[in-house]
Amino acid sequence: MLINILNGLVYGGLLYILAVGLVLIFGLRRVVNFAHGSLFMVGGYVAFAVAAVSNFWLALVAAIVVLAVLGVILDRFVFRPLQHEDPIATVLVTFGLLLVLEDVVKTIWGKDFLSLAAPPLLAGTVSIAGETFPVYRLMVIAVAVLVALGLSLWLRFSRIGLYVRASSVDPVTTGMQGVDTDRVSAAVVAIGAGLAGLSGTIAAPLMALSPSMGSFILIDSFIVVVVGGLGSFTGAFIAALVIGQVHNFGIVYIPWAASMIPFLLMVAVLIWRPTGLAGGRA
Amino acid sequence: MQTLWTRRATLAAAAVLATAGSVAAQEVIRIGVPTALTGTYADLGDQARRAVVFAVEEANAKGGVAGRKVEARFLDTEAKPDLARRQAEKLALEGFKLLTGTVASGEGLAMGPMLQRWDAIYVSTINKANQITGAACQPRMFRVNRLDASDGAVVTPWLAQRKEAKWAIMAADIAWGRDSGASFIKSAQANKRTIVSENYSPFGTNDFAPYIQKIKDSGAQGLWVALAGRDAINFATQARQFGLFDAVFTAGVSFVTDNTVKTLGEASKGIWGIINYSSTLDTPENKKFVADWAKKYPGTEPTNFEGETYIGMQVILQAVAKANSVKPADVAKALAGTTFDTILGKQLMRKEDHQLVGPNFFGNVGEKDGKLKPIITMSVPAETATPAPDPACKLPG
Repeated sequence: MLINILNGLVYGGLLYILAVGLVLIFGLRRVVNFAHGSLFMVGGYVAFAVAAVSNFWLALVAAIVVLAVLGVILDRFVFRPLQHEDPIATVLVTFGLLLVLEDVVKTIWGKDFLSLAAPPLLAGTVSIAGETFPVYRLMVIAVAVLVALGLSLWLRFSRIGLYVRASSVDPVTTGMQGVDTDRVSAAVVAIGAGLAGLSGTIAAPLMALSPSMGSFILIDSFIVVVVGGLGSFTGAFIAALVIGQVHNFGIVYIPWAASMIPFLLMVAVLIWRPTGLAGGRA
Repeated sequence: MQTLWTRRATLAAAAVLATAGSVAAQEVIRIGVPTALTGTYADLGDQARRAVVFAVEEANAKGGVAGRKVEARFLDTEAKPDLARRQAEKLALEGFKLLTGTVASGEGLAMGPMLQRWDAIYVSTINKANQITGAACQPRMFRVNRLDASDGAVVTPWLAQRKEAKWAIMAADIAWGRDSGASFIKSAQANKRTIVSENYSPFGTNDFAPYIQKIKDSGAQGLWVALAGRDAINFATQARQFGLFDAVFTAGVSFVTDNTVKTLGEASKGIWGIINYSSTLDTPENKKFVADWAKKYPGTEPTNFEGETYIGMQVILQAVAKANSVKPADVAKALAGTTFDTILGKQLMRKEDHQLVGPNFFGNVGEKDGKLKPIITMSVPAETATPAPDPACKLPG
């Protein structure tokens, strides 16, 4: 039982780190970033390349930095011009971006599946309630908790956090008050993309690296974002936890319906609480 | 994704054409390959593609097949049945009517009933579901690779030697995975073993932790795995982290293959599995194939799926030569009931169910020439390895 809860936390944690990046970018730029899954994938590959010449921890840092820089570039040349366009245009452009990134990765690393080993320090198992549990998975939970704590402190107490919250409620008025919303957005997209790099790296020792790995997890993170409420940080956190547990216990107790449950949950939220679990608070 | 692939596949086909040079002005043999170029089974689809490209170049280098040049065209199916049906139809309409190379059984099953309407044939080289040459058999559908029942025929005697009494199943929730699970249950019943946990994961699963925990909790001593491609790697990586392979004896099908072993490394060592083809098989034809393969793709040996797809190409091209025609109807006639020269020796394409009668093997992942790979420990001859035709298959004539 306890192990199942922990397993739910691991998958939920991974989804949270990815989904909160989506929420950040949507909040500021009103862009539904379909390329987010491919940023996650690029993060995994960058980590793989760096880990091959150094170690996992450097790879982790490198993936975050490279993706954050990529985020700034994307914000300037893709998201900023797109924010006033029709939503369908942003969907098409970010989807196109996904294809481009997948092809770039295919060209560099090929189509074979790659695998990144967990750092030796975390490669073992611990005994929890008489069961063996991989240490690495505990680390994933810890990282998710740190990200959640860090983000909420940053948003609540820092000046730029205040700007972010203000801009995501009303970018025009915030701009009139003298906040440079473009600079705020660049920072926020950098963080969102950096988090995608982080989640790609910590996912790499759990699952095969492949150019299309982003699309396997993107749907789950969109479910998290919708269930939590578009643009809601707290909502994303709660939804990721719920989806993680539901996914796990579904497979354990009602396997024939397990893959349906997250979707049913999303449908239920859309019908009865369309603003999401967190009730539309941004 | 499709358009990108279409473009790329056209380029690949053009490249194949360019290397082919000019061959006599006979009608070209057009091989249509709808296969998984992206997605969970991209790695298997890529193997099918490499084998077809190899066979096409080899045939053209020899001046073609009975004076006919060979050409291949590839389209992405993502291993999804509905997409496979559309892509195959597109290929057939463009004149690439000799189809082969899909990965998932569902793809073959989706194409089967359409073949006559498209005036095409389909030769399975990777689809394992029994129905392909069983209840869902078709006059225009053939299979050269080993079916699930054939894997069962190998597993049953192997299981008899194992001491584990309680077994769990971990398979993909698609036609093949379900079929393989059912086949293993039959083998288990024949050996009076009990199945304590049956798990079918959705195609393209990220997190296998709940399944792994269920298998651990079930008290299983043995585990049968029918997962392939990305699913196989995700499951093996996570199961190893949970220490599952140390606690439970593990074997499977399409699980530890040449390619997954390459990715998994040490994590795959000691895992048992069905081996449908191995580059180490000691026939003169296979040795020549492996040597030629290394010239075309330096530093590699043909994998199981590459070997099987190459057999498919051998069979198709020999049938074209025998029919002296590229018309699908003539090729189909030349395929049924004919014995072909393959890299595994002479093999008969049964006319009753269109299944090629071939041997099957079992083994485990170990080190050979300093490299980890599946090594054959048990060979089952063709007569026993390919069960008699399923009476559910009723082909005219």
